Amino acid sequence: MTATSVPAKKAPIFGKDEKRAILDPLWDNNPIALQVLGICSALAVTTRLDKSLVLGAGVVMVTALANVTISLLRNMIPSKIRIIVQLVVVSSLVILFDQFLKAYMYDLSKSLSVFVGLIITNCMVMGRLEAYAMQNPPWRSLLDGIGNGLGYAWIIAVVAAVRELLGSGNLLGYQVVPDAFYEAGYVNNGLMVLAPGAFILLGVLVWAQRAISGYVEK
Amino acid sequence: MNLNSNTYVLGFAVGVCVTVSLALSLTAESLKDIQAAAKEFDRQKNVMIAAGLCTADDARTRPELEQLYEQRVEEFVIDTKTGKEPTKDEIAAGAPAKPADVGNLKTKAERDQFRVVATTKDETGEVEAYVLPISGRGLWSTLYGYLALDADKNHVRGITFYAHKETPGLGGEVDNPKWQAMWKGKCVLDADGKLISITVKKGAVDPENGFEKAHAVDGLAGATITGNGLAKGLRADLNAFKKYLYE
Repeated sequence: MTATSVPAKKAPIFGKDEKRAILDPLWDNNPIALQVLGICSALAVTTRLDKSLVLGAGVVMVTALANVTISLLRNMIPSKIRIIVQLVVVSSLVILFDQFLKAYMYDLSKSLSVFVGLIITNCMVMGRLEAYAMQNPPWRSLLDGIGNGLGYAWIIAVVAAVRELLGSGNLLGYQVVPDAFYEAGYVNNGLMVLAPGAFILLGVLVWAQRAISGYVEK
Repeated sequence: MNLNSNTYVLGFAVGVCVTVSLALSLTAESLKDIQAAAKEFDRQKNVMIAAGLCTADDARTRPELEQLYEQRVEEFVIDTKTGKEPTKDEIAAGAPAKPADVGNLKTKAERDQFRVVATTKDETGEVEAYVLPISGRGLWSTLYGYLALDADKNHVRGITFYAHKETPGLGGEVDNPKWQAMWKGKCVLDADGKLISITVKKGAVDPENGFEKAHAVDGLAGATITGNGLAKGLRADLNAFKKYLYE
């Protein structure tokens, strides 16, 4: 297995490759909008902004640290069991995150319940390990992990913000839609709180993102 | 070195497992106390939510709420067979003395017999609410919560659930404040003072039907089993506290 995809000459600490590693997944190669990875949790946790922010933070942490760990081990991992090793690393990181949530943000850990555990099955995390960290050095893998985590996080944050605003008239739990609106006959859109609302929003978002970035499926 | 030799693969796998499990158990061990405290605070907060002393998304800080709990809430053990707190002799014979001891009871029969009740007092020291622990079998697992009764031991003051595994959006809607608000003002006793409890109807309560208006709440769409389990559990729990409350 080749160790790195670039020649071993002294590379700048934040060169072109590094920049691409962190910026690409934010827009041009967004894990949700373009690779359509990690959709399941994007649908489930986006009813409220605070939930999706915490989950987004969790995913950033997990992808970043898992990428670094796997990248450090990449020349030692036997290829036969590489997927299992990746899985072990990812699940331990997720359990760690869950333990910290339970200790310091008990309320949110309750309402996120099973979805934190489901970061393990977020195909995006494993996808990055397999596609990037196994071939690239730790520093760049860290950036790639952060980039992909953020690329995922901002999309679910946008979906969640819209769903919370239209579905319950709040943002981060604070009422945003003024009472006067409700008195004038404004009604919260119940569809937004349910899963189909997330489907529709996500679809619209993917469409808009692809229209702007000019991506064409080959 | 041959990375794919069986010895290496085996050795590597064992190495990874040992390292990871050590790291995880270290973290779990060091966070245990903080997690237990967070869980206990959540439980105390739910007692206060049921009693109407605070709300689920209360803006007050944790120390403030803990202080409120200290001032207003009193929890004690009730022997449901006698309806009273265990006497000195009973405690000497193994009955739990403090609420924390109830969790250590071994058998289900004992846990059914000894339960922790909370009362909240208003500023003058009068009992404001009786907060009873309730549980019901949902679809996936048992729901645990609190039902608070007004000082008249008849009207519901509030209901909360602090642990359940129901499907979010369906049975999980037991956490919905709007649904919980429907419980307020319902009666557990009929006009003659007989214990009726409250049922969760399938569908909406008929406003023309006086009995339903007093003793039923709307069901949750897509969560009939959760509702039925709750109603059944609630009736059993209220009956268990009958001696304590009404005799």
